[in-house]
Amino acid sequence: MIIKGQIIRVFPKDTNTDEIIAGKYKYDELDIKKLASHAFESIDPDFYEDSQKIKKPIIVADSNFGCGSSREQAPLVIKACNVSCIIAESFARIFYRNCFNIGLPLIECRDISHKVHQGDELEVEVDLGIIRNITNSKEYKFKPIPKFMQDLLNAGGLMPYLNAKGGFSEQE
Amino acid sequence: MAEKILSAKTNIEVTAGDMIVTPVDLVFAHDGTMPLAIQQMDFLGKREVFDPKKVIGICDHASPSPSERISNVHNFMREFARENKMPFFENGDGICHQIVVEKFAAPWMTIIGGDSHTCTHGALGAFSTGMGSTDIGAIMAYGRTWLKIPESFKFKVTGELKKWVYSKDVILHIIGEIGADGATYMSMEFLGDTIDRMSIESRLTMCNMAIEAGGKTGLCIADEKAKIFLESQGRGNEYKSLSPDKDATYKEELAIEASDLEPMISCPHRVDKVASVAEVGEVELDQVCIGSCTNGRMEDLRIAAEMLKGKKVAKDTRLVIYPASRSILIQAVQEGLIETFLRSGASIGSPGCGFCIGRTVALGDGEVALSTQNRNFRGRMGNDNSEIYLCSPATAAASAITGKITDPRGV
Repeated sequence: MIIKGQIIRVFPKDTNTDEIIAGKYKYDELDIKKLASHAFESIDPDFYEDSQKIKKPIIVADSNFGCGSSREQAPLVIKACNVSCIIAESFARIFYRNCFNIGLPLIECRDISHKVHQGDELEVEVDLGIIRNITNSKEYKFKPIPKFMQDLLNAGGLMPYLNAKGGFSEQE
Repeated sequence: MAEKILSAKTNIEVTAGDMIVTPVDLVFAHDGTMPLAIQQMDFLGKREVFDPKKVIGICDHASPSPSERISNVHNFMREFARENKMPFFENGDGICHQIVVEKFAAPWMTIIGGDSHTCTHGALGAFSTGMGSTDIGAIMAYGRTWLKIPESFKFKVTGELKKWVYSKDVILHIIGEIGADGATYMSMEFLGDTIDRMSIESRLTMCNMAIEAGGKTGLCIADEKAKIFLESQGRGNEYKSLSPDKDATYKEELAIEASDLEPMISCPHRVDKVASVAEVGEVELDQVCIGSCTNGRMEDLRIAAEMLKGKKVAKDTRLVIYPASRSILIQAVQEGLIETFLRSGASIGSPGCGFCIGRTVALGDGEVALSTQNRNFRGRMGNDNSEIYLCSPATAAASAITGKITDPRGV
């Protein structure tokens, strides 16, 4: 799988799920498209509008991105902003599961938030573990995604994966 | 201990890092996460849960419903629960975690909840963790989930806590020490004589906040205290002891001397921005909140009532108290605690998540709150332009009386 896109934002360490989508909105709205207009509102009010102008936005972040609540609305609004993948130093674990479950690729790459800049064009070779920065012709390596998670992505998320397999097998 | 529980559950000798598929003994979700889980089940073409005795729904987050939209979301859940003949807990029954503690959780169970604070139930020796709605939907349909066996992080807490210093101060101290990602994907195991002496309620407070350091779960041993607690809930037969093996290995260890600890505070807008009350100084408060799945139990309310008895809440400060469940509210009424609170000037909310997520008593612009809850992210209490400090019930009650952050030992 190859993902091409442009960095929309470089978020700091410990960006949390309340910042991604505030609790005050999430209970009222089951329509994710509408909810997406409030993505990152408290820390970055222009995010949604900018996401509509970029072709395939990529989010880059420092460590522990997505910490906090289990709300799946967090990855769902990011996906609804057309974000093609998130590359971070590390992710909080509930958020990590949630993203693969909905078919949104996450890449863990050391120190990435200090190596790239907003606006850079990237090309991510998911299977090989390589990120190419088209803007400055640099390359960064990452540990490829575990096989089970790749299977989830290839299926389009957990539900299509389970549909294809008819449930969980004994060991993944 | 996490490895022991999951090995027993899957009948495979598992070790940290293994990917497994495990049966789930209890799955639950609330009004913030269950509607989406039900929608996700549609993708599987399923509307029937795997076992109606093992799936529960709770209205606790936007509860009681503040709007017609949310009432319709609640109805969507009610209809699903009725169709499946599964237990459903209404507005006012309490917070999902407290209901699970009182009625369902037991040692050696695997419990998955659609809420990040599901790590709470490790206080009774269960492997318990939070997941998102898609995972919850898959479990509701199949009764199984996939997991990576977490590494373990041992916290050895020894010595006597000082008067007016509690398990909340211990866990805030720990999170301050290791940071918001200090235990990412680890099982945080709380051991040592201080924990052994703690009540189940105090242990629940510790495990509840494991996620604030990135923990997959929090775990305590299941001992005589767990047995007595389960007996008090009429579920003594569900007790089975749990303790770490003598040769258990830990990825990391941290030793804490309890007698060194002071009343602690988490400062805005991060749970790991921890300082002692003395270091934080006399911050003026608009609202003080006592309750939540972290600190809304009898022990917490008794501490607060002891502090507030015969005293008044400061003139320019509001005190709101939300007991964590219906049974706690009933007991608090019977013990006269609610009268003490009302006479002090506090308002009492319907058992549920209430203030913690700003669905009720949301903060105004520029306001400052002190709360016994577990999270103080920007906007958590409904307003991006407000500040939230976290503390124990004793510090909260003392501060409500003075109207500013106050060491409970001085009141």
